[in-house]
Amino acid sequence: MSLQFLHSHDSAESHSDAIWSSQWTSRDTVVSISADGAIIQWDANSGQQINALPPHTLGLVSLSVSEAGDRAVYNTIEGLTQLWDLTNGSVLGSHESFARDPAATHQTEPVWAVSLHPNGRTYASTGGDGDISIRSAAPADFGTRARQLSPGKSKFGMSLAHSPDGSKIAMSSETGQLYLFDIESAQLLNTYTSHAMCVRSLAWSPDGQLLISASDDKRIIMHDVRNPGKGGGAVASLTGHSSWVLSASVSPDAKLVASGSADKTIKVWDLSARSAVSTIQEANEIWTVSWRPKPSTTGPGTFVSGGEDGIVRWWRGAGM
Amino acid sequence: MNIPMTKRDIFYKDVHLFKAQSVVDDLVDDLAATLDVSRGDLNIRASPKGLFCGSGLSIHMKRGSIVHGADSEGTLIPAGVDISHVEVSETVSWVLIVEKEAVFQTLCRANLASHSSCPGPGLVITGKGYPDLATRELVGHLSVTLPTSIPLLALVDADAFGLDILSVYKFGSQSLAHERNRTTAPRIIWLGLWASELSSLSIDRDDLIPLTEHDHKKALLMLKRDNTMMPTQWKKEISYMLHTRRKAEIEIISSTPSKIALHPDAPHHPAVQIYFAGDPPKYPLVEYLIPKLKLFCAHGQKMKRVDEISKSHHN
Repeated sequence: MSLQFLHSHDSAESHSDAIWSSQWTSRDTVVSISADGAIIQWDANSGQQINALPPHTLGLVSLSVSEAGDRAVYNTIEGLTQLWDLTNGSVLGSHESFARDPAATHQTEPVWAVSLHPNGRTYASTGGDGDISIRSAAPADFGTRARQLSPGKSKFGMSLAHSPDGSKIAMSSETGQLYLFDIESAQLLNTYTSHAMCVRSLAWSPDGQLLISASDDKRIIMHDVRNPGKGGGAVASLTGHSSWVLSASVSPDAKLVASGSADKTIKVWDLSARSAVSTIQEANEIWTVSWRPKPSTTGPGTFVSGGEDGIVRWWRGAGM
Repeated sequence: MNIPMTKRDIFYKDVHLFKAQSVVDDLVDDLAATLDVSRGDLNIRASPKGLFCGSGLSIHMKRGSIVHGADSEGTLIPAGVDISHVEVSETVSWVLIVEKEAVFQTLCRANLASHSSCPGPGLVITGKGYPDLATRELVGHLSVTLPTSIPLLALVDADAFGLDILSVYKFGSQSLAHERNRTTAPRIIWLGLWASELSSLSIDRDDLIPLTEHDHKKALLMLKRDNTMMPTQWKKEISYMLHTRRKAEIEIISSTPSKIALHPDAPHHPAVQIYFAGDPPKYPLVEYLIPKLKLFCAHGQKMKRVDEISKSHHN
């Protein structure tokens, strides 16, 4: 089976350096962050800029947008985390994770990856020490650490993703391990060792049953999280990319996965058939893909991609 | 007595008093800074560490002897205080400073200094990692005395330490701030290896080395440096390296003998492509360097021409 995804439009302007992450929000806007230090919100239909923040001096490496689409938490390469109001463009909070925290009993490494809780009240962060900190996402005390979840191994935390219902958090490490925690009980539910190389991106299926990981080992692996405590847990792997898989995103109808790779292609995979149904050849490494959260009624859906050339691209599945 | 000593000699004069070599090192530097003289003026020098290669360079010593450079093997760089003057042949058209001794030896064996494909004879210098004072003084001297049409180029690993070493040549070290004028070469250009050119060199990403915690911390520290000591291009390359969490050592080029091409968007210069039909080249590193040497030399010649034209207009 094959599907066609057609290039719909581009962002009206381009970032001056690579786009490292993006997210299509539920307000039908797209937020992109770049190596050039900028964060920009775009209108999903026209590709026009809605608002942006003055660029930071260093690149932005992690982005998480609230379910309501009204706020974004993002983090710079040195660990400055900020809370951005997407509706009016103002900065609501700021946290220097690289600064010494006089209140903390032990210091943590600067933040690398962040993930907002679906309810928007907290966000999770991780960094060089591989511990997960649950922090306040409220403007008043943004960044204050409430609790810590520790896998007990000191691995560089690359990526974090809350489950859609907010009860769990998954973290991927630079050496490939995935750690799944129940947030309330702080219990480590499972460790997945299906990858032995860096996992740069995590995604959940909308029903929270599948955890998808994208790795430098060129594979995307689907993990069944319904059975905690079961080792392994990998149900299928999607192979076909010829270089690192940099990003994976699950479609809102749970049928498809889009992936961006260092092999300069975007692939769309059918989750039940476990094979690629579409390959889009691009000219640059693709660091991020993100589906429109609202399911399509007319076709397979639309998603955005971003990569080394700094342009946000929209792709629309050809209607059936 | 006017016999030069090394800092190690001083340490051994009274091991119990000094207890550690680093104590002597710091004392000597402090003394020199307080008296506003160089270490050499105190008749103290380190054992020579740096090497140079290229018959176009001869070093005339104060005691009368001449240290001649050779094209295919390295010669130790003597302490600056012992040097009377440096003689550079008029045909020398480029100077390449390389970070590591192993790379230097490869380039000597490959005869880069007198290679027929190079734009002209040149000099290759290494400080064997972080350069000692003698190496920095020589590079600093060449930077000032050679015409600016002759490029001074640096080949370092695509990692934070490589760039830090380049930074020492270009901007100077923290500890010798008072000697910065003589020991820096502000016009030195970073020729490579750039993290961002790796994909265009057909280098398999999986051959890149993962960053260590040490690399990561060093990279973050360097990103915090002032703009005057951290050019934008360097910041970009360090960020790219931090983001991919991989670094590349120069030796990685030696392991890819197949076609090598320069990315058209590589900073500074237009695209140059080299394809190899038939046998793979013996020294892939040389094949990587030659087009870049040509480009920087051509650029140097253009700037010289522009300079000449503008001068003749003013007369």
